[in-house]
Amino acid sequence: EEDVQVPAPKKLKNKQRVLLLSSRGITHRMRHLMNDLEALLPHVKKDAKLDSKNHLHLLPELADLNNCNNTLYFESRRHEDLYLWAAKTPNGPSIKMHVQNVHTMDELKMTGNCLKGSRGILSFDKSFDESEWGRLTKEVFTHIFGVPQTARKAKPFIDHVLTFSVLDNKIWFRNFQIIEKDPLQPNGPPQMSMVEIGPRFVLTPIRIFEGAFGGATVYSNPEFVSPTAVRAALRGEKGEKYGKRKH
Amino acid sequence: EDAVPRQKIEIDNKIALERIRNTIRLDPSLSWTETLVVSYPETIDVDVDDDLNRELAFYKQALHSAQAAKSLAAKHNFPFTRPSDYFAEMVKSDAHMERIRQRLLDESAAIKRSE
Repeated sequence: EEDVQVPAPKKLKNKQRVLLLSSRGITHRMRHLMNDLEALLPHVKKDAKLDSKNHLHLLPELADLNNCNNTLYFESRRHEDLYLWAAKTPNGPSIKMHVQNVHTMDELKMTGNCLKGSRGILSFDKSFDESEWGRLTKEVFTHIFGVPQTARKAKPFIDHVLTFSVLDNKIWFRNFQIIEKDPLQPNGPPQMSMVEIGPRFVLTPIRIFEGAFGGATVYSNPEFVSPTAVRAALRGEKGEKYGKRKH
Repeated sequence: EDAVPRQKIEIDNKIALERIRNTIRLDPSLSWTETLVVSYPETIDVDVDDDLNRELAFYKQALHSAQAAKSLAAKHNFPFTRPSDYFAEMVKSDAHMERIRQRLLDESAAIKRSE
């Protein structure tokens, strides 16, 4: 009993907590997407909507108050455009992205299911390793979307995969259930297959900032055209047609 | 008169990006079981508008990664497969799964009817 305990070599742990919140003015679809992420990621702490879109510098402080070292902030503009900030708080970096093609788990087309709070495999395709912005994005997403083993509600088994793939300069997100038995031959040889669970979304990187929600821009996507500019161009085209007819 | 198209300035400060990544990088000695990250050794080269092949490519990536993860888990002596007697709350409720099942049934019934 009096033995001096030899301290075991301390095992390194991945400690991540993510603050999840949105701006005012999000639509039901955006809200459902947030709820999906909250259900999938047990190390997420959801907070109330942020009042002002001009005071993002408050977010690192808010994250700190909630003991979070990462922040996912959904910003809705004009009730139709959705932007996502993925940031390491308090010291940065932060990645600003445009979110499109959102499908949530509520939809009936995706038939997969998984344990609430089970840790997902994170799968990144090779493109992430081929550019410097890709490598940084992979690192940040690993912190944010990877459920730490110590997360309070994490389950001890693995039953789904989150995939991130770069295609057309956008990041595509999918979530699949892992099925290890052939449903037609439950006693046959194990045959792995996948069923999609949802949600789905596509992220277009816009900018990467050095700090948390600010600081110097270290990457900007030259191909990104804001959805407002796209709409304005469409309207302009229509106006031109009218102008021609008039003269 | 023609409007001069505004040239967007591209910024790609590779040195800064790498430096920032090094400041936040997780300890490389961290066990795989802490992050569960798997890299897919291929890029996704499909026509972005071809929905079927695009989703197939994502499916392949997920399958490949799940298989890789399973063998990695075995190597780390880390539990992977959920035992059949382990029950816990799921992300989609039973009621929701029932609605999905009903929809599938309705769909197949509609197909049969039209045949």
